[in-house]
Amino acid sequence: MSELGLSELARQLGCDEASVFTAPWEARAFAIALGLSQAGLFIWDEFREHLMAEVGASDRVRERDGTNRQGEYYEHFLRALEAVVTEKGIATRSELVTKITELQGPAAPHEH
Amino acid sequence: MSEHDPSEHGPAARVKALEQLLVEKGLVDPARLDAIVDTYESKVGPRNGARVVARAWADAAFRKRLLSDAVAASAELGIAGPEGGHLVAIENTPRIHNLVVCTLCSCYPWPVLGLPPVWYKSFAYRSRAVSDPRGVLREFGVDLADDVEIRVWDSSAEQRYIVLPERPPGTDKMNEEQLAELVTRDSMIGVAKVTAPGKSR
Repeated sequence: MSELGLSELARQLGCDEASVFTAPWEARAFAIALGLSQAGLFIWDEFREHLMAEVGASDRVRERDGTNRQGEYYEHFLRALEAVVTEKGIATRSELVTKITELQGPAAPHEH
Repeated sequence: MSEHDPSEHGPAARVKALEQLLVEKGLVDPARLDAIVDTYESKVGPRNGARVVARAWADAAFRKRLLSDAVAASAELGIAGPEGGHLVAIENTPRIHNLVVCTLCSCYPWPVLGLPPVWYKSFAYRSRAVSDPRGVLREFGVDLADDVEIRVWDSSAEQRYIVLPERPPGTDKMNEEQLAELVTRDSMIGVAKVTAPGKSR
């Protein structure tokens, strides 16, 4: 790996050194996860298990072919949140997809 | 992919839909979510950790308590909250430099440092902090002599770390508040040193 200062690393990640979120949806996903766990709908450690699984899956792809097609941290975070929400029966995947479609129309080819 | 896979949609749309669904079910309150975001964007952050470090520099008895029980010591300053249990303070010395990472996800002591910065959660940092800590530190601008031992601490759900950096020379006359101003988040993760005012790092 080439020389990589902290500011350069942050720049490559699309933010500055102090940023904890890179987009408003990331902050919202964090708040939903913390809000649900504080409301007792799941234990934070149950969520963390899913998060570690998502991060691990993404790391293995990177180690294998160097791509980040599984996205960055908050994309893992969101998948983990969806997983714990559906696992706990808080909402079903079908409900989620229906709501997304209701709000924005049918799936567009990947827009990040 | 099944037709019931939210991942086919962009993340912003998924989060919006999830929030709306949960609001309709009466499980989250948007005002409560606003309050959480506000808390972690502007209230809980590394200034808390800086107060802990400054107190430890100024008060030897506190420093001792911090190193033996960081949870209780930070509670003395009114600092506590989610992800704050199992906090351990590790002390830098002229011979030992400590570096904190979470290789498996993003474990981090929220009450003292806030949420982890984006780079802390990146693959680049997580993968290299363990395999080449000296190289990472050099790239981040921390040049350590060869005889300084680097200890890497991998955070977990059971253990979170705050580095107690070395107090920079020339700060004897500073009070606790002034000392806290010098302490950066990066120094409490171990990717920077604390420098006295007027000196570059």
